[in-house]
Amino acid sequence: MLPLVVSEVTRETPSIVSVRLASPDGEPLPLWQPGAHIDVQLITRHERQYSLCGDPADAHGYRIAVLREEFSRGGSHYIHSFLRVGSRVWVRPPRNLFTLADAPAYRLLAAGIGITPILAMARHLAAEGADWQMTHLVRRREDIAFASELAALGDRVTTHIGAEAGRLDLAALYAGLEPATAVYACGPQRFVDALDDLAAALPGGAAVHVERFEPKPREHRPNEVFTVTCARSDVVVEVPAQRPMLEALQGAGVPVEGSCLRGICGSCAVTVLEGIPEHRDSLTGDDASMTIYPCVSRSISPGLVIDA
Amino acid sequence: METFDFPSVDLAYLRSTLGEPEAPTTQKIIDHLDENCLAFLAHSPFCCLSTADSAGNCDCSPRGDYPGFVRALDPRTLVIPDRLGNKIADSMTNILDNGRIGMLCFVPGMTETLRVNGTATVTNDPSLMAMLEQDHSVPDLAIVVRTEQVYLHCGRALLRAGLWDPEMQDLAAEVPSSGQIWASTSGWDPTVGDVIDDAMAGAYRSLY
Repeated sequence: MLPLVVSEVTRETPSIVSVRLASPDGEPLPLWQPGAHIDVQLITRHERQYSLCGDPADAHGYRIAVLREEFSRGGSHYIHSFLRVGSRVWVRPPRNLFTLADAPAYRLLAAGIGITPILAMARHLAAEGADWQMTHLVRRREDIAFASELAALGDRVTTHIGAEAGRLDLAALYAGLEPATAVYACGPQRFVDALDDLAAALPGGAAVHVERFEPKPREHRPNEVFTVTCARSDVVVEVPAQRPMLEALQGAGVPVEGSCLRGICGSCAVTVLEGIPEHRDSLTGDDASMTIYPCVSRSISPGLVIDA
Repeated sequence: METFDFPSVDLAYLRSTLGEPEAPTTQKIIDHLDENCLAFLAHSPFCCLSTADSAGNCDCSPRGDYPGFVRALDPRTLVIPDRLGNKIADSMTNILDNGRIGMLCFVPGMTETLRVNGTATVTNDPSLMAMLEQDHSVPDLAIVVRTEQVYLHCGRALLRAGLWDPEMQDLAAEVPSSGQIWASTSGWDPTVGDVIDDAMAGAYRSLY
């Protein structure tokens, strides 16, 4: 992990702070593309994923933004209450599970703190001269983060303030899109679920790409014991019914790193060589995928062979 | 076994020997966590809970987790998750019985400790349980503490103990293993102790 320090903490809204992280010796940081996120480990050892929302051309700093959550599991609470300029953090280099694909037109949708990856995308598309539009949903006017940066992007950005304009008609918005338009959306569970449902209900409609903060609710089979043969480590690991596969692998000394442990960040990805995986993560779109996230996923076949 | 009958002193004797605390010592005791105490707690991964039943029978037990695991909901309200343990639940049964608690909180490397005394209840509030999730595990119960006395305890005890001195860790090698202690107190053959030690090494991989 990269040892970084907090170089700026900025209050963006009553409930959002942005934090700039820099290397202590001013060394340039690994590059990233819009949609990328980093895993940030705090001194409390809480590890959380945050989308990068700064300027990719800023090689000396990563900017993230964090919402204050009333029932924070620890990360948001610590960042809002105790993180200071000079605080040390440890960061895994950027990974991108939310990349912008080539498309004739783009529709960006950000709800609340979901603005973070979308802002980086909007800036990139504007610089590329792409055909794009963005809708930013917030509850109240004071909840608009990065207002001046959004204003600088011009009239392609529409802000929808729920308290003033009422509920956005997402179905009408989606139905009005050209099928070739690529939709990129980030926001709370209900918002991205609604979009997923709209896309599922309208085959041939615009392709929807979402990024989630919370795991997608999924039905799954009851947990059963299975074995994992790790081809490279040359070990066979039994995964008990009540234990995650990742924990069993790590317990046996297999080098797989996890981060979110909830199937949303993608850190622990491994390739399945044989067997039928049962995907329980929020990243896999294709059930036949042979990339598995062992923090939540398990096996349909009695055994898996993995490349680890 | 020999029983000892040492003389007991009374309060007057105790006070005449020790004297009274200096005013600044008692003035630092407040009824809530101020900003500095909140910062202390946010970096503390370990504390001891002392509780007693209504008859006054006392108990002290350790609690440890990610730093900041004792969460301040406000300056007078703390929440302590109940993690995987031995199910004896001395602390919680005592709290149900007499509703009072004393806490001693530690920050590794820091010689001062934070003392918190107050009243306590046990809750299963779903929002709090979700908040206290750690490494996939949502607790079933948590202790809620209402503070009455909060103060920083000076560092002499930990300094004298050399508690954070890495070289002091050689002491652990001189103590019988947990398996040996367990086998002995349960009246089992010492070889059972090795089996327990092996089993504990496995069990300790599941912390939540």
